[in-house]
Formats: sequence, C-alpha cells, structure tokens
Amino acid sequence: MLKVDGLTVRADSVELVHDVSFAIGPGERVGLIGESGSGKSLTALSLMGLLPEGVAASGMARLGDRDLVGVPESRIKELRGRKMSMVFQEPMTALNPLMRVGAQVAEVMTLHGKPRHEARARAVELLERVRLPEPAQIARAYPHQLSGGQRQRVMLAIALANEPGLLICDEPTTALDVTVQKQMLELIAEVAPALLFITHDLAVVASVCERVLVMYGGRVVESGPIREVFTRPRHRYTEGLLAASKLTPRGTRLPAISGSVPPAGRFPGGCVFRNRCPQATPACETAPELTGDAHAFACWHPAD
Amino acid sequence: MPSHAGTPLIEARGLTRVYHRPRTSLTKPGHDVLALREVSLTVHRGERYGIVGESGSGKSTLLRLLCGLDRATSGSILFDGREITGLPERRLRFLRENLQIVFQDPMSSLDPRMRVRDLVAEPLVALGLPVGGRVAELLEAVGLSAEAAERYPHQFSGGQRQRIAIARALAPRPQVLVADEPVSALDVSVRGQILNLLADLVDELGLTLVFVSHDLSVVRHVCETVAVMSAGEIVENGPVDDVWAAPAHPYTRALLEAVPTLEGLF
Repeated sequence: MLKVDGLTVRADSVELVHDVSFAIGPGERVGLIGESGSGKSLTALSLMGLLPEGVAASGMARLGDRDLVGVPESRIKELRGRKMSMVFQEPMTALNPLMRVGAQVAEVMTLHGKPRHEARARAVELLERVRLPEPAQIARAYPHQLSGGQRQRVMLAIALANEPGLLICDEPTTALDVTVQKQMLELIAEVAPALLFITHDLAVVASVCERVLVMYGGRVVESGPIREVFTRPRHRYTEGLLAASKLTPRGTRLPAISGSVPPAGRFPGGCVFRNRCPQATPACETAPELTGDAHAFACWHPAD
Repeated sequence: MPSHAGTPLIEARGLTRVYHRPRTSLTKPGHDVLALREVSLTVHRGERYGIVGESGSGKSTLLRLLCGLDRATSGSILFDGREITGLPERRLRFLRENLQIVFQDPMSSLDPRMRVRDLVAEPLVALGLPVGGRVAELLEAVGLSAEAAERYPHQFSGGQRQRIAIARALAPRPQVLVADEPVSALDVSVRGQILNLLADLVDELGLTLVFVSHDLSVVRHVCETVAVMSAGEIVENGPVDDVWAAPAHPYTRALLEAVPTLEGLF
C-alpha cells in the first residue's frame, strides 16, 4: 500500500528526518511514536505533500504506484483527500469556522469530482458512520456549536469521504478528554483502511496499532510488532520511554530519561540518543544501522 | 504519614460559582452557567491532595477560588483559619505569601521578555520581601545551574521551564503549592523528572500540595487523597488507593476504564 524508502527531510542545512524507511500493507495499522521534536509529524507531512516552505523532502515514498516525494504539487493534489487523507490534532483550527460542517464534508468530495447534490447526501451518511447523533442536524451546525470530540469525528468523516486507501492520524486524541478519547480510538480502529497513527502516548498506540515505529532525533531507532517492542524493547531509548510511561507506586522514584530532547540540528553525531543514554560508549560515535527483519533496532548496546 | 494527623489548612464549605453568560438575543437575558455547585473539601497541613476531572468538570473554577483569583457566588473558604472569600486583594497578602501556583504550560506562564533571575525574584519583589541570594538557592533546589539566571525562558526546554516555574512559586517560602496539570504539557521522558522534583521539594520543605490533573494514575502516584469532579460537583473523594481500587461513583469507574495503560495490555 504505502512504501517509504530513505525519506529525508531538510530545512536548509539542517537534517530534520534522516533516512526513514517503512511500509504499510492494506488494512495494517502502524503506530509512529516519539517525543515532540523527534520528526514524526514532519514524516507524515512530507507524505501528504504538506511540508512548510523552506523544508524539502527527498528519497522515495510511494502510495500504490504513485510517487509522493519529488513530484509537483498538481500530482499530489489528486491524491490528497482521495487516496490518502489526514486527521490533525486540533480540530478547531483544522475546520473552517464560517462553514457548516456538512458543507465541509461535502467539499472534499466535490473537489475530487463528485456532483454537488450527491456529495451533500453522502456527507450526512458519513457523519452517521462516525457515529454522530442526528447527522442531518449536525450537518447544518457550525464547528463552534460542536464539542471537541464531535469536531474530531467531523474531521474523521472528511478524511474518510473519498474512501482513501491510507489514513494518517496525527495525535488525533491529544486534545480530547480520556472518556471521549476512548470512543474516538475505537472508531478509528474500526473505520481506518490502512493506518499510520502518530502519537507520543505509548498506551494509546498499544490500544490501536499492530506494529510500531519508534522515532528519535529524526530517525527510526526501533520498529516491530507492538507486543514485542513493548515487552522486549531493544533500543535504549525505547526502553527508557517505556519505563518513563509506567507510574510506580507513591513514595518511589519515577524513572525518567536524563536531560531533554535537543532542538533540531543539535542532536549528537553517531547515535542520536548517546548524550542521554546511560549505556553510551565511544562506539556510539558511529551511527548504528537499523538492523533486523520483523523487529529491527539501531543500537550498539541493545537491551536483552 | 503526616496527612490526616495534620490540622485543616484549607477548608472550603458549600462553594458555588455561577457565571453569567452575555445575552445573545435582544429580548431574552443571557443564561447562567453553574460552574461549581456546593463543593466542600478539607486539605490538611502536609497533605498531598489531588483533584481529578475532565474539561468542564469545574476543577479550574475550584482552583481559582482556592487561590483567591476569583470570587465565589456563595460559600466560604478558610485558609489557616482565616476567611478569604470576599476579601479585597490588599487584604490577601497572607494568602499570596503562603500559597503559590505552578501552571500547566510553562511557555505561557513565564514572561518571555524577562530573564530567569527576574522571573524567580518577582514574587519576592511583589510582596516586598528581600531577594538576596534566594534566586541562586532556588535554582539549585530545582536542579538548574546558576548561569540559568541570566537567560530567557525560550532558551530552555519544556521540562526546564517547568523547573523555573517551580522555583518561582517557591520563592516566598509558601506553605501550600498548588500545581495545575504541571506535567500535562511535558514529554513522558521528562515527566518523571518533574514529578520526582515535586515530591522531593514537598518532603524537604514540608509543603502541602494541591495537585490538579485529568489523569487519575498520575494523581495516584503523587497524592494520598483525591477528589473526583464532574459537572461542577465532587462526586467522590477519599484516600486515593481506595478510590483507585474500588471506585464508588459510576463516573469514577468510567474515568478509570477510559485511561489507556500499558499495564495488563500484554
């Protein structure tokens, strides 16, 4: 379905994403996890052809038989919203406040050639599919009249409108309350064709995806089936992240990774994690390759 | 544990806060929003008290009242035996000295044009207290180097900025530290650092902690006592371990079930 090979994203001389490769099969749900500044959103934006000005992607990314990187905007435009679509973190800024939500769902279909009256009718069906109550009424509402969870459902309806082959979700539930988040995650898992799910929350990714890519410093440092990566992490960063995600009983010290994520372009050479890694040695000054088939990791001193 | 043996430090009784919405029609008056209804709670000296709830539950309104940043429509709050509701700002000095707040987002709570030195000293200056060597002392207490004093907030990471906010809150040697979602905006890898730091400081300085969060599992790690809020009311409160193990209210149960965890997944 989606194949990414050697994807690199640069802003001037600073490399923000380095040599990222992965594939997503039809129906597969893949998580992309990492902290803020790890390059996960840039990876998604470069697939959607939405990189900000002055930031450019190189390498290969292909959806079916169509190239996504290094092709003119006019080619990407045919795919975006039709063959692949994206749900963003903040539904209030992603929706047009001056347009009724039904019209916004219909718009993505008319843009890709569906007659207006058909699109209107289908919009209501889609709002029903994302389990909004009274979809015909919701279609006539403006975004500010809906709750955060309802707005995010509208975003999902827009994303699903043209039956895309790939859905990318970038922190779709971070702005939502936990009880609403739970419903939203169940819905995404149910309706997504192939899914690339970006989050910083390890527990969230574990409840939605089958496979996971761990990013740090613009590189994929570990990847594999989620159960294996989460129960037997090999990269020291994944290990630290998992330890830090679990809350130990009161009165005990919480595990944390020392230091903080450096700003873009300030990651150390060699292994990008070595300045925060408790196991780092001079060997880590050489960048480790991502090795392994199903469960791969890039670390000189992996955990067992 | 000093928790319940301690004397009551904050006592809120029957707090209600009604917000009047502006009118949206020429013929009808604007409607009222009951943000907080008849809320009562007691925080003992030395206790770590957690308040949990989702957006719209009234936890922020409650916090604003406890901190003397807003007026209750009815009800009373005693701080160390003294009434704070209805007092003008000039008579709230004892509260400002003894209760300080750490906010959720250190990006917006720290003035970007002020150096860390001035940010940390500001509460002292505002209260007319001597600054002296207090800034260096505070920076050291929160694990920042002395050179940090000369820099600006944007030169620090999120976790470091939260350390600066904690140093600032501790400047006037308060008895009570109120932390409003202090780790929600932080990456998980540094969340532990900040929670450990808070726990250390509360122990060393004998502080009373009021900790607000949407995440019951974080509250369970930090606090002994918890109040669960929903729709402007405290629906359940008590020792956090009891609430965690056997939630009595349906809303608490729903909240617990909804929190995704790694434990027990595999």
